[in-house]
Amino acid sequence: MPRIKIDHAKCTGCRHCEAACSLNHVVNTVNPRRSRIRVMRDGNRYYPVIAGPFVDAACTSKQFIVIGDQTYDMCAFCRASCPQKPYFIEAETGIPLKCDFCGIPPSPSCVRWCNTGALELVED
Amino acid sequence: MNGWIGRCLRVNLTDGKHRIEKLDTDALEKYLGGRGLGVKVFADEVDPNIDPLSPENKLIFCSGPLVGTGAITGASCNVITKSSLSGGLACAKMRGHFGAELKFAGFDMVIIEGQSESPVILSIIDDKVKLVPGLEYWGRSTAETEELFKKNLGDPWIARETYLVSIGPAGEKLLPLANLVNDRFLSVGGAGIGAVMGAKNLKAIAVKGQHSLQVADGSRFVQVINTLINKLNSAPLTSQSMSQWGTAFLVGLSYQKGILPRNNFRSTSQPLKNIGTEALNSAFALRGRGCFACPIACIKKADVKYSAFEGKGMVPTYLAIGTLGFNCGISDLSAIGIMSMLCGEMGLDPVATGGNFATVMELVEKKAVTPEELKIDISFGNADSMIEAIRLISTKKGYARRLGQGGMAISESFNMPEIFMGVKGLSLAPFDPRAIQGMGLHFATCNYGPHHLYGYTFIDELLNVHENLDPLETQGKASLVKRHQDTSAVMDSLGLCNWPLMGLKFNNYIPMVNSCLGTNYKADDLLSIGERIWNIERIFNMKAGFNTNHDTLPERFFKEPVPNGPAEGQISHVREMLPEYYQLRGWGEQGEPLREKLQALGLEES
Repeated sequence: MPRIKIDHAKCTGCRHCEAACSLNHVVNTVNPRRSRIRVMRDGNRYYPVIAGPFVDAACTSKQFIVIGDQTYDMCAFCRASCPQKPYFIEAETGIPLKCDFCGIPPSPSCVRWCNTGALELVED
Repeated sequence: MNGWIGRCLRVNLTDGKHRIEKLDTDALEKYLGGRGLGVKVFADEVDPNIDPLSPENKLIFCSGPLVGTGAITGASCNVITKSSLSGGLACAKMRGHFGAELKFAGFDMVIIEGQSESPVILSIIDDKVKLVPGLEYWGRSTAETEELFKKNLGDPWIARETYLVSIGPAGEKLLPLANLVNDRFLSVGGAGIGAVMGAKNLKAIAVKGQHSLQVADGSRFVQVINTLINKLNSAPLTSQSMSQWGTAFLVGLSYQKGILPRNNFRSTSQPLKNIGTEALNSAFALRGRGCFACPIACIKKADVKYSAFEGKGMVPTYLAIGTLGFNCGISDLSAIGIMSMLCGEMGLDPVATGGNFATVMELVEKKAVTPEELKIDISFGNADSMIEAIRLISTKKGYARRLGQGGMAISESFNMPEIFMGVKGLSLAPFDPRAIQGMGLHFATCNYGPHHLYGYTFIDELLNVHENLDPLETQGKASLVKRHQDTSAVMDSLGLCNWPLMGLKFNNYIPMVNSCLGTNYKADDLLSIGERIWNIERIFNMKAGFNTNHDTLPERFFKEPVPNGPAEGQISHVREMLPEYYQLRGWGEQGEPLREKLQALGLEES
């Protein structure tokens, strides 16, 4: 099964993937807030997060990860579109978004536009 | 509308009111947007002879039509005002994510008028425009301002998507060297703008929004961008040099050709060990940071290798290394990195600051002033005292405060105006005009002072990407300069970055522009728009008091030949090239745009 592998160390935070995704899903329209991939920023690093399954309740176990002397908010890396955060929800309709490997196969549109190799298509 | 949002926000700080206006579609066709539209609106609304720091001066932030659409390198937002350093027009290019976020917030353009009584921050978040009291941010560095503002927003999810442009302590103290800083550490790069914003008591602008941008032909647009990314990846300069080291890779090349100035443009000698890309690799842990939709990511952030950085600094660019470093006799990259970071935090322009200190250092060397009088041991090669002096001038503390008035003012106050290396009151970017003649002509004639970012002639002269030209040759340089100046005006107006021209031809962009905007432009149409923009800038500057006497270089470049190095014995031939340049531009002998030219460009009724 093909998967999109994310290497956050290579991400430059340019958000070209967000533009690619929204151009592919909404006809002739660019809007990162309607995109199914979002680049989160925490501290000095960027983390692309791809929309996954959604839940209709906020999860009860908010977690933090400590790496070195920095504390990261786990919610920022979570793929779920839960009521805790305003991501991966179509603002106008309220419908949750989910990645569908859009674009011309084999590479999804975000992988095609990611020039640094932070996003990569891999086969299991 | 395709590309453009079509709305403009006008904020009057005097009475705190704002209104939303529609953009004039005729002006969009004639001036595209970004720099062109901003200059047009500014020239229409502002008297060229006002005091730059008065409430009558306006500050215009304008994003181009391609910004935020996903067009490659479409990220730049231009800031236009009357500069407090030169007295002429100032146009800064803002990189990063601010420009794109301004479009998503629903505006192509923000016009700031008047003057607030107390410090404020303009917040444009999710269609709510308001002026937030800014007293608690006043006096803070740019990075601190951004952190505190985001913290005060309360919601970390909103804070994550908010982008800020702010002034540092230097701008607040109305220092002529001040500029703006956005996205925490990106210097906006135009001296004299920070003081204008400081005089308006505007500490920062914050943007975030959810608006959509329309593209004319989405599927074609996506195809064109795929091919452009492939083209960039096959060009060695953009795919390897720029994405590995940023613009700093130019340092070594520039040094080899004798273009890199040393000790206030007096020498290119003294072989330097610590330059070039290897030194950069060993001094910093480089991490690429991309502006919106940029496949190159030339901004390099320094991850912790030096305790002084604490991971917040940006690896010095070619500009910072050249002006803050070698031109002040300093070749220690870590010291240059700290100075460049300090400039970012304090909101100082690296070029103007470097030129300022190079002037002071030569004054000290010529014994016009002694270190005892200045109470700081400032001399060529003394990095520690320069770091200290940057801190002092930006907060106007200590005796060194009078050193922050800009190179021209300082050299005049000691009756030695000839040692200031600058044009129109602005310091020279680190290219020795004697060793690269085309760039010299551009420095002399540029509307925004001697800065290479408004005419990328070094792409052909130094790097030989599209044409193989000898930098010492003068033949054909006038037309080269004109072409690059017009190209740069178009690219800025569209909102594109100019650096990819090291891998792409200007013609490669045309399909991207047309499929995005739904237009039928040809390369020549766009270049004539660029020429139109260049001419209205020129007219404004001439009304503000500049004339052909200002289209020159410091006397040093005509009298003192390069003492050594690859360009030994060369002087600048700008005076010989200038008449040809005027002729190509369709200007008179005094450099004034002629009536026929203005009619041809549609700037004057026939």
